[in-house]
Amino acid sequence: MTRKAHILLVDDDPAENLILRALIRKVSNVDIQLHYCQTMEGALAFLSSGQPVSMILLDNRLKPQVDFRETVPALRLHGYIGPIGVISASLAEPYFQKLEEYGADFRIDKAEIDPTAIDFILREYLPRE
Amino acid sequence: MAALLENHRRYDLRDELEKALNRVDFFRIFHTMALRFGFSHFGILQLGSENDACMLSSRLALHDLPSGLAEEYDKRHRFGDSQFYKTLHRSAISSVWRAEDPGCDTGQNLLVQLGFELLVSVPVHAAATGARYAVLFLGDGEDIGRAEHVGLAYDAICAFDYFYRVGLANKAGLGLTPRETEILKWISHGKTASEIALIVSVSEHTVNSHTATILKKLDVVNRTQMVAKAIREQIIQ
Repeated sequence: MTRKAHILLVDDDPAENLILRALIRKVSNVDIQLHYCQTMEGALAFLSSGQPVSMILLDNRLKPQVDFRETVPALRLHGYIGPIGVISASLAEPYFQKLEEYGADFRIDKAEIDPTAIDFILREYLPRE
Repeated sequence: MAALLENHRRYDLRDELEKALNRVDFFRIFHTMALRFGFSHFGILQLGSENDACMLSSRLALHDLPSGLAEEYDKRHRFGDSQFYKTLHRSAISSVWRAEDPGCDTGQNLLVQLGFELLVSVPVHAAATGARYAVLFLGDGEDIGRAEHVGLAYDAICAFDYFYRVGLANKAGLGLTPRETEILKWISHGKTASEIALIVSVSEHTVNSHTATILKKLDVVNRTQMVAKAIREQIIQ
């Protein structure tokens, strides 16, 4: 039985949407619907629309916000209690050690996202059916 | 987690291991390690008694095999019958397996059954308890040279040591973090995981993960016993 997942990608670079969409096609066993927003405003509006969101993948630096320390609490304040993963190319920054304190679930480097990583993350965070 | 001494040489992995917080971080470390040495997947296997009837899927503490592969394997084969599993109980030397290894019939050949060409197994153990595990690397390469094999085995031992202490160790008796105490307080007020997630501004998954850690730390089996013990020990009022 194929599971379903709705991933919301929030990234100011539309190219990341294209890249993730191509990677997701290679993930078998999970029927993934990818939704894309370019800004936090768009993401909050998408959540308000009531469409299902199984997981949010969030670019760390979304202008005008500074980084996930502003964006993740805003998503939580909006009432989103699903998993949030922060995508960055600079995970070594010391503030990433406080990821969980700010309400995020995990971090992943842009270069590390491949079909195996997506499959693993969905298995870890999606409720078993 | 008690810091290790510099005597414990972790080479290039040191910084990343010191920063690893959760299972995704360890997935990242092991998956990158597998790719770096030419493999496509890894698995951390918990060893039990040799004669236990065991299933591959229930023995994998962390892995990045394609979803459902281990479960499909268990439907068709008995992991305990594989030559590979039996060998893990015979020696703790790292081993290299190829699908075309002679002297192993198909019914016992784990690699053929899983559909890979090459497997490196690195036996490891938990320093605190001696519990045995093996870190497996699977791929379609032809073989692995000595230098790569030694390097991979050393890195796997280092990474497993951290993974065990951060993710697998029994934490009974350890103190609760402020976040865990906060979640415990809300559990004692009868709140559900999703309600606590909203109140504390984290995901429901994080609440469940903290709850599992609190159960381990207090050495209890359910939420009722957890609250009773927390009140008895004056962790909460």
